Amino acid sequence: MKRMMLLLSAVAFSGLTAIAAQGQSQSTGTQAEDLTVLGYPVTDEQITLGRQVYAQNCASCHGAELQGQPNWRRRLENGRMPAPPHDESGHTWHHSDQDLFDITKLGVGGVVAGYESDMPAFEDILSDEEIAAVLAFIKSTWPERQRESQARVTAKAGGGA
Amino acid sequence: MTLLLPTPTRRAFLTSAAAFGASAVLSVSVNRTARAAPGKTPSAIAFDGNALIVGGAGFIRRDDGGVSTPLPGPKSGSILSLATHNDRAGRIVAGLSNGGVALSEDGGQSWEARSQGLPEAPVVAVAAASSNPETLYVSVHGDGLWKSEDAGRSWVFAMDRPWLADAERDLTALASVDLATGMGGIWLYAGTGLGLTRVPDCFCRWQDVQPGDAMDALVSGAAPAPEAPLPTGEPIHALVSAASVPMRLYAALPSGVWASADAGVVWVQRSSFRTDAVAVHPNNADQVVALTEDGLIQTRDGGLSWTPLANN
Repeated sequence: MKRMMLLLSAVAFSGLTAIAAQGQSQSTGTQAEDLTVLGYPVTDEQITLGRQVYAQNCASCHGAELQGQPNWRRRLENGRMPAPPHDESGHTWHHSDQDLFDITKLGVGGVVAGYESDMPAFEDILSDEEIAAVLAFIKSTWPERQRESQARVTAKAGGGA
Repeated sequence: MTLLLPTPTRRAFLTSAAAFGASAVLSVSVNRTARAAPGKTPSAIAFDGNALIVGGAGFIRRDDGGVSTPLPGPKSGSILSLATHNDRAGRIVAGLSNGGVALSEDGGQSWEARSQGLPEAPVVAVAAASSNPETLYVSVHGDGLWKSEDAGRSWVFAMDRPWLADAERDLTALASVDLATGMGGIWLYAGTGLGLTRVPDCFCRWQDVQPGDAMDALVSGAAPAPEAPLPTGEPIHALVSAASVPMRLYAALPSGVWASADAGVVWVQRSSFRTDAVAVHPNNADQVVALTEDGLIQTRDGGLSWTPLANN
């Protein structure tokens, strides 16, 4: 049931994203270097929005330069892991678009039962479009190798590249 | 950090290793409960091609004809763990009781230290990545998981120890399992004092073993109960994945050798001897050698029957 809800949510969101992306592409004619999020083209405006949302909601833990918390591979005293980097030095690019969207929206504990994390769920803080924009911004910072690898992971997960 | 691992003597090792050649009388009804102190007897075994290598206070290479040759072994400590890779014949990686790693490129004839950057603490487990023999992993006692991408010339911290039962747990065994995680890499399985865990080789999260890949684990939201896990709370002394059939795993436990044909979801007990180490032939997933208190035993049928490993 939970999986189905997630998939239905993702489908609905993907539809909204597609409409939004098409609208933006038609109005601006811009596209961010063939980058996609959840299977739909990323626009420059989306990246700009994502950069702003990231700075306001994510950078305090994941770093203004996406570098993560210091010593992020070492567990905190409370047993939880520090916020990892979102740049190419971390493991964000090993996850599919859908996983990244779900983790951001629901929190890690929302998709991995029992997992305790300091990261909150953003479903009551950010809209789906804002979450997608943050992912677009993060992905836009990756070098080509990480982009290609993450696109393969996303495609294999059925999320489109 | 307190080091409790005793330093063995080379003579003790050679005496003990010689006993491996004796035809120990095996009785599958006996369930051994005492474990030899680490290092006083051989601690680790592995296959280097067809040869079996045995490490402890010394080092012995046993060719496929059964002839055992004692070799000097690393100078900087006794061997706690061994790893080889089928694509690098003669390369042996040894985790040492005094800390650090030694590497041989000639089947154990000579050794050099490959410890640059590693903490000075016992290396209790070592593994070579199935997908890339230049990539090595070690578990450093009281510290965590370290990774090298240049055959041990340099090391970086890869991940902290898993958090199990409200505490960090040392990794007691490592095995690179050449099965896709769904995240662009393969799995690294690990044993702890409490059982089995695994992590994708992007090192995002330690997780329980369950059917499917890491993506399934994320989306499902809950791991289904394994149909037949390893005994709860029993420490894992050693863990191997058959290079020829990666889903075939063998684990050395106090209760004996356990085998899995599905990458660790369902386990079957294959011996009842207390087992400290286990090795699987790189080209024959049914050929397994186990290190027990009475010496080395082997099977050629995946653990259905065991015989003492005769020495010449």
